[in-house]
Parts: sequence; C-alpha cells; structure tokens
Amino acid sequence: MSSDQDHLKETDTEARFEFKKEQKAAFVAEKGLTEETIRVISEDKDEPEWMLERRLRALKQYQKMPMPTDWPGQPDLSEVNVDEIVPYIRPDVEVRGGVDDWRDLPDDIKDTFDKLGIPEAEKNALSGVGAQYESEVVYQNMQERWEEKGVVFMNMDQAVQEHEDIVKEYFMTKCVPPSDNKFAALHGAIWSGGSFVYVPEDVTVEMPVQAYFRMNSEGMGQFEHTLIVAEKGSEVHYIEGCSAPKYSAFNLHSGGVEVFVGEDAHVQYSTVQNWSKNTYNLNTKRAIVEKGGRMEWISGSMGSKATMLYPASILKGRGASDNHITIAFAGEGQNIDTGAKVYHNAPETKSTIESKSISKDGGRTNYRGLVHIANGAKNSSTAVECDALMFDNESTSDTMPYMEINESTVDVAHEATVGKIGDEDIFYLQSRGLDDDDAKQMIVSGFIEPITEELPIEYAVELNRLVELEMEGSLG
Amino acid sequence: MSAQLPANLSAETVREISDARDEPEWLLEARLEALEALDELELPDVIQTPGRRWTNLEALDFESLVDPLNQADETTRESPEGVVVLPFTEALDEYGDLIEERFGSVVAPESNYLTALSAALFTTGTFIYVPEGVDAEDVKIRAEMNSRSLFSHTLVVTEKSSSVTILEAVESGDSVDDARYFSNLVEIDAGENSYVQYGSLQNLDEETYTYSLKRADADTYSTVNWIEGNLGSRLTRSDVETELNGEASETKIVGAFFGHDDQHLDVNARVWHKAENTTADLVTRGVLDDEARSVYEGVQDVGRDAWSTNSYQRENTLMLSDQSEADASPKLIINNHDTEASHAASVGQVDAEDLFYMVSRSIPEEQARNMLVEGFFVPVLEEIAVDEFRDDLEELIAARLR
Amino acid sequence: MATLEIKNLHARVAEEDGEQILRGVDLEVKSGEIHALMGPNGSGKSTTSKIIAGHPAYEVTDGEILLHLEDDDFGDVEIPDDARTWNLLELEPNERAALGIFLGFQYPAEIEGVTMTNFLRTALNAKIDEREELLFGEDDDEEAEEEAGYDTSPMEGNVDDGEVGVAEFQKLLKEKMDLLDMDEKFMQRYLNAGFSGGEKKQNEVLQAAILEPSIAVLDEIDSGLDIDRLQDVSKGINALRDEQGTGILQITHYQRILEYVEPDHVHIMLDGKVVKSGDASLASELEDKGYDWVREEVYEAA
Repeated sequence: MSSDQDHLKETDTEARFEFKKEQKAAFVAEKGLTEETIRVISEDKDEPEWMLERRLRALKQYQKMPMPTDWPGQPDLSEVNVDEIVPYIRPDVEVRGGVDDWRDLPDDIKDTFDKLGIPEAEKNALSGVGAQYESEVVYQNMQERWEEKGVVFMNMDQAVQEHEDIVKEYFMTKCVPPSDNKFAALHGAIWSGGSFVYVPEDVTVEMPVQAYFRMNSEGMGQFEHTLIVAEKGSEVHYIEGCSAPKYSAFNLHSGGVEVFVGEDAHVQYSTVQNWSKNTYNLNTKRAIVEKGGRMEWISGSMGSKATMLYPASILKGRGASDNHITIAFAGEGQNIDTGAKVYHNAPETKSTIESKSISKDGGRTNYRGLVHIANGAKNSSTAVECDALMFDNESTSDTMPYMEINESTVDVAHEATVGKIGDEDIFYLQSRGLDDDDAKQMIVSGFIEPITEELPIEYAVELNRLVELEMEGSLG
Repeated sequence: MSAQLPANLSAETVREISDARDEPEWLLEARLEALEALDELELPDVIQTPGRRWTNLEALDFESLVDPLNQADETTRESPEGVVVLPFTEALDEYGDLIEERFGSVVAPESNYLTALSAALFTTGTFIYVPEGVDAEDVKIRAEMNSRSLFSHTLVVTEKSSSVTILEAVESGDSVDDARYFSNLVEIDAGENSYVQYGSLQNLDEETYTYSLKRADADTYSTVNWIEGNLGSRLTRSDVETELNGEASETKIVGAFFGHDDQHLDVNARVWHKAENTTADLVTRGVLDDEARSVYEGVQDVGRDAWSTNSYQRENTLMLSDQSEADASPKLIINNHDTEASHAASVGQVDAEDLFYMVSRSIPEEQARNMLVEGFFVPVLEEIAVDEFRDDLEELIAARLR
Repeated sequence: MATLEIKNLHARVAEEDGEQILRGVDLEVKSGEIHALMGPNGSGKSTTSKIIAGHPAYEVTDGEILLHLEDDDFGDVEIPDDARTWNLLELEPNERAALGIFLGFQYPAEIEGVTMTNFLRTALNAKIDEREELLFGEDDDEEAEEEAGYDTSPMEGNVDDGEVGVAEFQKLLKEKMDLLDMDEKFMQRYLNAGFSGGEKKQNEVLQAAILEPSIAVLDEIDSGLDIDRLQDVSKGINALRDEQGTGILQITHYQRILEYVEPDHVHIMLDGKVVKSGDASLASELEDKGYDWVREEVYEAA
C-alpha cells in the first residue's frame, strides 16, 4: 500500500502548510462591509438579481444581530472586527469558475497546491477535486464517469449560473437561513466560492470528492459556501481541507455548509481543519436528513486561534440517522470550541456523537453539544460520548452538553470523562524502549484512533502527522 | 433589572420586619443593603438553547406573589443534646456575634435578585450550631407555610471534628387562594474535619413557586452531604452547591425528584473543587409523569490548584408519560489535568424487559411499574441517614404512584 | 554475554514516609541462565522487578544495579570499551530497555487505539535508535528522520521511521507468533485492550521474543494461565534462552511453571532480601516445606 502515498513523504507537513505566497490578485475588495461592497462583489460575479437581494437581506440581518458573547466559556471574539477584514479577493486566474487542468494555473498558485499534495491525491484517491484560493475556486475537476451519471461537482459561483433553480431553492433558505446566527448572516452577505455537489437518485460516488480551501493573504476573510444535495438512495463522501500561513493580523473564516440528505441517502462530510493560529474559524454547518437517510460529520480541528463549530443534523424523516465524530486539539493560545447538534424530529431516529479532545500548554477545548428529541419522535435513541485528555494544569477542558427530551419512548445516554495521561501506561511503553515523548505521542494517537479510523487513509495519516506536530512543541 | 420590584416593597417594609423582631442594627443594615441591591441584580442564570429558555423565571409576578408583612409559618425543631437548634430570631440574643460573622458568608445576599429579596424579607429560619467534637444525630426541622409568601434563612455552623445529621421538611399549611412564593436559603459553614448531612424534603402544594439555594463551604477534611428531595410546588428552582475550599474535603449531592401534572422542576447540583485531594459525587434521580418537566444542570468545576481531584456525576431520569419533558446539562469544567472526572446522564422509560419479567411472574403491570419506580429511587434512599426522612420520602413516592 | 548485577539494593515507596520494601537485595543473572525468584506476598519480588526496569513509584535508597555487556551481546554491533558497564539506576526506563532489559508485567497496561503491530515495530526501532545513541553518542539520523513523512497507514506506523521496515517486521512477527502458537489476528488488535489474562501474558512473552533482550525479568508470568497456555508461554520462555541466549529472572509464586521452565538457580526472598539460593531442587523443597521452613532456617541461623 506504499506507492500510492508517495507524494505524502515528499515534503514536511509543517512546511507544507506554513509557506506563504506573495499576494497577486485581480480584484481586491475594500476592507470592511458595506452595501456598496456587496453590490460590487455581486456585480463582479455577474450574479442574478435574486442572489444580490439575498445578500443584501443577509447584510441587514448581520447588522442588527449582536455578537455572541454570553456563552459560558466561549472564545473571546473581541478582536474579530469585520471592518478590518478584506472580504473578497479574486485571484488572477484567466478562467472564471476554475480551470480543469492544474497546468493552466499561474505558477505560484499551482505551486501552492502542489505543496499541499492536492493534485497527487486527486490522481490516486478522489473522484473529484475543487481548490479555492482566497475567495475564488481556481481549479475544479471531476472524473468523467461521474459526470456521465449526472453527478455535479462544481464551484458554487458557477452553480448559481448553471443550476440556478436548485440553488435558488436550497441556498440559505430551509437549512441555514442568515437569521441563524451573526456569522451565518455575515456569510450570507459576502459568501464567495465553495462547492456545489449534486448526486442523482441511486448514484453512489465511490471515491470521495474533495475541496481544499487556502487563504494566502493577510487579514482576509474567506466565506465559501458548500451546498450538497444527495437525492434518494445516493451516496457521497465530501472532504474539505483548510489551511493558511500564519500572519500577525487575524484572518476570519466563516464558511456555510448545507447538506440535504434525501431518502435513504448517505452523506459523509469530513473536515481536517488546520488554519493558522491567527485565524478565527466560525462556521455554520447543517444537514437535513430525510426518511432512512444517514448523515455523518467527521471533523478534526487542529488549527485556528479560535474555532466555534457545531455541525448540526436535523433528522426530519422516520429512521433517519446521524453520526458525529469530532476531535479537537488545542495547544498554546488556542481555544477550540466544538461540538454537535442533533434534532430528532421523527420517530425511530438515531444519533451517536463521539468527541475526543486534547488540551495542552494552556490550550482550551470545549465540547458544546445539543441533543433535542421532539415530542412524537418515538423510539429514538441517542448516545453521546466525550473524552478529554489533558497535559497540564495550564490547560482547560470543558464539557457542556445539553439534552432536551420531549418523548418518553427513547433511549438517551450521555457519558463524559476527563483525565490525564496515565503514568503506568507511559512506564509500560517506556519499558519497551519508547522515550517519554514517543510514549505520550503513541497514547495520544491511540486516543484519537477511533476517529482516524473513519477517515480515508490520506486524511488519517495527515491528521496523525498534525497531532505529532502539535505534540512536538510541548514535549521533550 | 429583569424582575419588577413589588410596589409594596420599601425600606419602610424592611424596617418594620426588622423592628417587629427586635433585630440588631447590623442585620437591619444587611437587609437594607440587600433591598437596595435589588435594582441592579439579575434573576439566577437559566439555561438557554437556540430558541428555548429552560425555565422562565421572568414570568414570576412578585407584585402579587410577595406579601412581606403577612408572613406566617408553624415550625417545630427537634434537637438532640449538645447541639444548638434555634429559630433564627431567637438565636440572635445568645449567638449574635457568631451569626453576624457568618451570616451571608456562604450565600452572599447580593448573589442574585432572589437571594437579595430573601435576605431583605426573611422572617423565619433556623440557626444550628454544633460545637467542637460534638456528634449530633437527627436534628429535625418541620416547617409549615401558612401565608402567601414566606422567606426563610437557615445557617448551619459546625466546629472542628463535630458531626451532625439534619432533616428539614417543608409543607403547606393553611390554604391560601392563588399562587404563593416560598424562598429558602441555607448556608453551611463546615469546620475542619466536621461532617454534615443536610436532608431537605420539599412537598409544598402545587400553587406554590419555590426558590431554594443551599450552599456549603467545606473546610479541610470536612464532608458535606446534601440530600434534596423535591416533590411539591408548581415551579421549583433548587440549587444545591458545595465549595470544596479545604484540602481533602468531600461532598455528595444526592437529589430525588418526582414531578406530575404540569409541575416544573429546575434542579441543579454544583461543586467547585478549589483545593487538593477533594472528592465530589453528584447523584440525581428523577421521575416525570403527566406533563411535568424537569430541568437539570450539574456542574463539576475543577480549579487550577485542585490537584488530585476526583469528581463524579450521574443523572438519570425516568419518563412515565409522553407528555413530559426532561432537559439535562451535566457540565465538566476542568482546569487541572490531575483530575479524574466523569459524568453520565440518561433518560428513558421503565425498562420493558424488567417489566415483562415481573409481569410474567404474575405481578399486575401497574404494580410492577410502581415497584420498578420505587426501586429506581433506592440508591437515593440508601444515602439518607435520618430514618424518618427516608420513610417520609418513601411514602411520598408511593403516594404519588397510587 | 551480559550480566545483571544487583548489589545491596535498598528501596522504598517514593512518597513522603514511603514504606521501606527492599532491604539489601543481592542477585546476579547472566545471559543464558534461568533464575527463579520466589517468595511470599509482600516480600519485595515485584518491587525488585519494577526497580530493575525503572518504575518511578520507588526510590532507591542504597545499593546499585549494574549491567555488564560483552562483545557479542548486540550481534554485530561493536560495543565501545567505555560503554560496557552501565549503572541502570542512572538511566531512563527506555534507555534500560535499549540496553537489553525487559520487564514482563504482572498487570500489563491496556492501551486503546494502538495496534500491536504499530506498537511493537515502533518499540523495536526506538530500541535500536536509542541503543546507538547510548553506545556511540549523537544521534546522526535526526535530520533524515525529520524529512521522512508517512508512507503507510497510521495503524502500522511510519514505514521509513527506523531500521526495521514493515515487510521485514511482519516476517519477524509471524515467526515469533508461530512459536508461541498465537493467532495472527492479535496483531491488528489494540495493545492488551480486552485481552484475557492469559492472552496478556502470552503477549508479554511475544514482546520479549521480538525485542530480544539480554535479560528478561518476568513478573508472575504464570499466574492466571490455564495449562495449555502455560505450556505455550513456557515454550516461549525456553526459546528466549535457547535461541537468543536471554537471561531470565522469573518471579513466581508457584512451582508449577518450573516444571516446564527448569531454573538453573532458585532464590527465595523474605522481607526485602534474598535469603536463600540454590539449584532447582530448592524449589521442590520449598513446595514441600513452605515458607515457614525458610523463615525458621534463616532466622535461626542468624
């Protein structure tokens, strides 16, 4: 199984994420957020009138909503001043909507994605790839055999033009309306880029499709929108990867993800997030799951200064199910506030949430989760398990689950543990020849194994490598 | 301010209450300060999730609920030898200095709007003092509420190496039309190496809105065990809390509730680990029938300096009806890695297999269900040291099932 | 040929007012020898084994533990003259392991999420690296290692990371497992997690077989084994000695295992000291007469 992954050993992982590129752009919006900015962006994208209207409505929502500041233990967002953010940068790429051959990209952008290993991964393990640089998707391609089956995988801006009906119906209407929260509203006003995935009835896309999001400029905001519509009986696995080099000024990432899981359809959404540690990562991700459908959210949150992310599943149809797997690793200066939300709105719905967090060197992790079982959601069940591992007493680990149970014929279980690395375990490994650092690292990788197990091999490897990098700072 | 100040509430009212009881100046001052603070204070925190507020305290209409000058209660106190158990007012004569020193030291009157209101207006309550080395069993306080509103303040002080078990029971006496309000603050100042079990059984009529805050400050090697039984009231907000301030101190917070009709029970257990080698165990069991709703928050907060902490929390709710609702939020807040902490919560029905097993042994279904519900409470009942309290609680549970 | 030399070892529990457990242990184990260390509960056998491996729960108050190495101990690896005698008490547990000390635990740790394969190959390679460093100083590989990325599943560890590659390791593993009559599916299971008592013990012996120690201290390797497994485990222990020349210090309560693993030397511990030593016949004598006999004999003589 070795040659497939040769590309991964070519470069050091850390170097792969941390390099910077000189910023060259075709269009850079003014800092801050005004109606004028939004009209300019919409015009630059040549959008239909209804999309401009939605953007402007979202802007109004944004302006009247307060910042979330009163959640117990939440990350400090006082530094997040949207007026300081450059909301839109269109890179200098000839073809709008992205090229379909890496060679057609300007050298500096191509070089970026080469270093991230994306073109190689595409060859070996993916059905399709989209790559976003700053505010626009610069590369988009999918294997022909999927296109023939009617699968659509294109950048979101292009989808507004080419699949207007579907987008108009689903885009920030029933799943994530801009009124949901302040950052959803912000997103609705200035979204740009992202992916549109449409899988027709009974089509199974065997290999994952991937989108990679790269922020390269200092002080910018990235607001990509992802819309996945999986029709009845279909199946797809979508992976997103994110990274940015580190700058002194803060960056803001506020993505929006909407997933529609049709009857008996199955969607898996995996994220390995490695934003630089000056990035605020404030996303809204939600899925609506129809009868018998299955939604899986898998997230690894390693990077960012502060993350607030609670992927939600609304189990709308009978027998719909949800599976959340999340891992958070907070090192020095990081506040990773993640969790899950599940609404059981129909009978026989099922959810499982598995959360693992690691905090060290003063880092802070918080599991914040909500499970709501509506009256009438008979014979539903939910199981939540949160485990936290702490390295030192400078770090903090919080667990804050909320359960609202309105139905009696249910099975609800929640369990959580917090602890340090066991001294006996370390000694055992040491007695077998591992030094202290390697022993701890091995225990940590074992701790998160239930999660890496769920990821395709490349991502599991990547995640493990990231964990190793995180560990190196503190140990030894 | 979120709650309206009742029109009949003024410094004059507070003076009248204090004068009628011939209180020392310091207490009047404390009451007036609390009254003044009301303007600035908020109601106790209530959990909020998107679109939902778990308990709506804002809806309490203090204007009509509070009748400060007509408070009445009938309270009996049984005290074993060696321990001081006195009505709060009477205790001021002999233990004035001690009370002045400790009053409000565990539950500050300005904690929130409801504690301040209570400090300003309380007319009843108990002072319990256990001198050094004294072992006292079965202190019993039985209170009957006989007015529209009643505010009670209880202070327990245990000196070094003493121990005491206390039962407090609260019921409704003379019927008063319309809604009522009962406020019950309990402070425990547990001295070094002392042991306190404080059991409380609230069974007020279902026209009553109850606010109860019980908090202990546990000194080195001390143990504070709370047992909190809530069956009565239309709406109950109950907070039971321990601050483990002394090294190797321990606490257990054991709760039982049983709601029916449209009762709303907001019960909370919280512990703060602030010193080394402290241990906490939070156990809550509740049953809901009809349209009753329970709201539970459990907090295990481990501070930076709380090395070698053990902290456990379990909450289990049984739902007997589809119309009931059980909300729960067990929280872990951990700031020291040298901690073994866990929590578990569950919600469900009476186990169908268990029921079937019993029915197949010829027990009628309803009886079998009742037996299982009673069995569900056993872990809580077993913790109770005062026999009379255990019997009372058992009876109330049995009565509610039939 | 390696020699483990324990001289006048005194130790106590590493706590304030910790209990004194060892009161002058003297013991010498050479490669290729099998020693049985017997004694009643609380006599200090397990403590001795843990201190040899460097367990942090104990504090050595007097005495020393030396490891003497000779030319052929690490196969082709030449051992510099100034690195032939080691004071184990100055070394970290992993450094001791690198020099060929192995402890078979009475209660092996269970580590979720780490497969046996990953664990053992990591350990084997860590051992080889650490040994180089101890014997020859600086770790030259540092830079090369930094550049290496993963090339295979995290379930199996990094293929480039270390001397022994995946293929070579798999072969080695299979060989050793066959020897111990272990099911191959073990290797994809998590380290000791959910293993039965017997499986854990078998696993300890397997690890010794793979790490090829000079001296293996086996702490109650025979407890909790049924007769079939006892025979497998015994076969494994004998193979350690016969095929790898490992010196064995076997701590046990029971005569039973000694029927399958015949000791060259038997030592009896009482109250933190080795009070009596002899050949294999001492074990059967002990079986017949019990510890009281030893106690009487020792204290009367004194």
